[in-house]
Amino acid sequence: MNRTSPWPALALCLLASAQQPAPSSPPPTTPQETVGMPGRIENLILPGTELAAAPAPPHTRIVLRITAARPHGSLFRYDIEFTGFEPGAHDLRPYLRRKDGSPTTDLPAIPIQVSPVLPANVIEPRDLQPTSLPRVGGYTTWVILAILAWIAGLLAILFVGRRKAVTTAGATAEITLADRLRPLVEDAMADRLQPERRAELERLLLSWWRDRLGLQQRTAAEAVATLRNHPEAGELLRQLDAWLHEPPGRMRTVDVNALLRPYQAPVPTTARGGAA
Amino acid sequence: MAQKTQENPRTQATIRFIQAVRQRVGTIVVGQDTVVERLLIALFTGGHVLLQGVPGIAKTLLASTLSRAIDLKFARVQFTIDLLPGDILGSEILDPRTNTFAVHKGPIFTNLLLADEINRAAPKVQGALLEAMQERKVTIGKETFKLPAPFLVIATQNPIEQAGTFELPEAQLDRFMLCHRLGYPKPAEEKEVLRRNIHLGVRREDKGAIARTEFDMIDDKPVGSTEDLVSAMEAVHDVHVSETFLDHVVQLVEKTRHHKSLALGASPRAGISLIKASRARALIHGRDYVVPDDLFALAEDVVLHRIRLTYEALADGLTGLQVLQSLLADVGAPERR
Repeated sequence: MNRTSPWPALALCLLASAQQPAPSSPPPTTPQETVGMPGRIENLILPGTELAAAPAPPHTRIVLRITAARPHGSLFRYDIEFTGFEPGAHDLRPYLRRKDGSPTTDLPAIPIQVSPVLPANVIEPRDLQPTSLPRVGGYTTWVILAILAWIAGLLAILFVGRRKAVTTAGATAEITLADRLRPLVEDAMADRLQPERRAELERLLLSWWRDRLGLQQRTAAEAVATLRNHPEAGELLRQLDAWLHEPPGRMRTVDVNALLRPYQAPVPTTARGGAA
Repeated sequence: MAQKTQENPRTQATIRFIQAVRQRVGTIVVGQDTVVERLLIALFTGGHVLLQGVPGIAKTLLASTLSRAIDLKFARVQFTIDLLPGDILGSEILDPRTNTFAVHKGPIFTNLLLADEINRAAPKVQGALLEAMQERKVTIGKETFKLPAPFLVIATQNPIEQAGTFELPEAQLDRFMLCHRLGYPKPAEEKEVLRRNIHLGVRREDKGAIARTEFDMIDDKPVGSTEDLVSAMEAVHDVHVSETFLDHVVQLVEKTRHHKSLALGASPRAGISLIKASRARALIHGRDYVVPDDLFALAEDVVLHRIRLTYEALADGLTGLQVLQSLLADVGAPERR
């Protein structure tokens, strides 16, 4: 009796099973994704000729795309991307077709699970819940506020101080040239004028004539030169020179009373808001 | 014009001398009457003058003409960045034959020194010159030499090109009795300058010829002597200054020290200079007493370079001249602060 070993037959069976791929390899677990979010199934081996995504009708519940199809022996191995639009369990087979047009009845089921995001029985998003407003401000607001504060400060520097200066000037301008001139003239005519105030009297007389002839814009030297050539002012200056500046002992007498009498009540000048 | 007096014979002689000098300068330099007056004021009072003006307005010609008209020694130094004090004052030089140091006097040993563009020299040189101006003596090595009398420094500054210059500090500026700002000549004066220049012609020299300049036209024969100048200086001291005029000066100087727009007011030296210059101006104008006209005419040249504006006044666009004129126009007015 011939006794043969069973091991060679077993090895051949294993080899044969290795060379012949399995007709299908369903995914180990059901792919799961939420509504509207794309899910992937990779390395899915399906029997038959090469598959492609079937055209999606309007309002389809699943959109499917084959991202890769590679030969696998006499079969094909696929990477599939799907997006479900309705929650529930779905089968992807109806969404596939053969490229050569042959039927797909030999395909195994390709289940997927699409989970809802909304709670059960809610088919529309809820109304927004009222919440507190965000904090007023932010960078832009603070920048605008800073610019406004800066402008306000600038305006205050430019105008607030000036107003005070104008007010002060207005207050002092109330004392006119004639007001200052009159007591000095009266003192001089009464021979009470102190020597140190004679200079002030002379300058005020010069200023008065300068205003009267409208020489304010000229330099002091030009104004006095013009006054020297004026018939009235020139005579006054010559008399003042004789009275105040000529060396003592010079035989020129000056009638101070007659000289200053016209300035006891000086006529208004044009420039300084008028006098007396 | 104030009434002139010709009672004092020395004053009368001085007035003739001044007229002759002005006439001589006028034959060479057109216009610039005020500058001539200022230079005479400085000569008569022993002060020094700083002229501020653009180049080419006959500063050197004026100084040269003036020195020859009064028979004064004249020297000119162009100030540059690499100038040394010894280049002006002089130095000791080793004489290899005797193995001793001999003193070599610098150009400062003259009667009339033109320091051209003084602000281009380093402060060390400016300081050396200004010290000599003040003390009227120079020390070279171990020996001290007096400067000749009269001694007048006419320094110039160009107000335009300030790059590479050393601005004179207030303390140094104060040593100048007058600071006069020169302007361009008026159109009629400029036309006369050109007309004179057209007729200058050429001068034969060696085998060739060179174009004559205004310097060739200066008459070497003086119209006055140093004695005349000394007499004029003495006549200045005879000019009467009234108490009222002193009050004018004191109050003007005082106001510059308290004006809100001025950080630095006029020094006591400014008051002294105002009096001195006013006396000389009175004499030049034929008076033996000063009047406010002298103060008003000289205030800008005497006071303006001695005051300094505050930053606030500068920011307001004020100038020193505006402030000074406001003081002169409003002297005696109450302070408005």
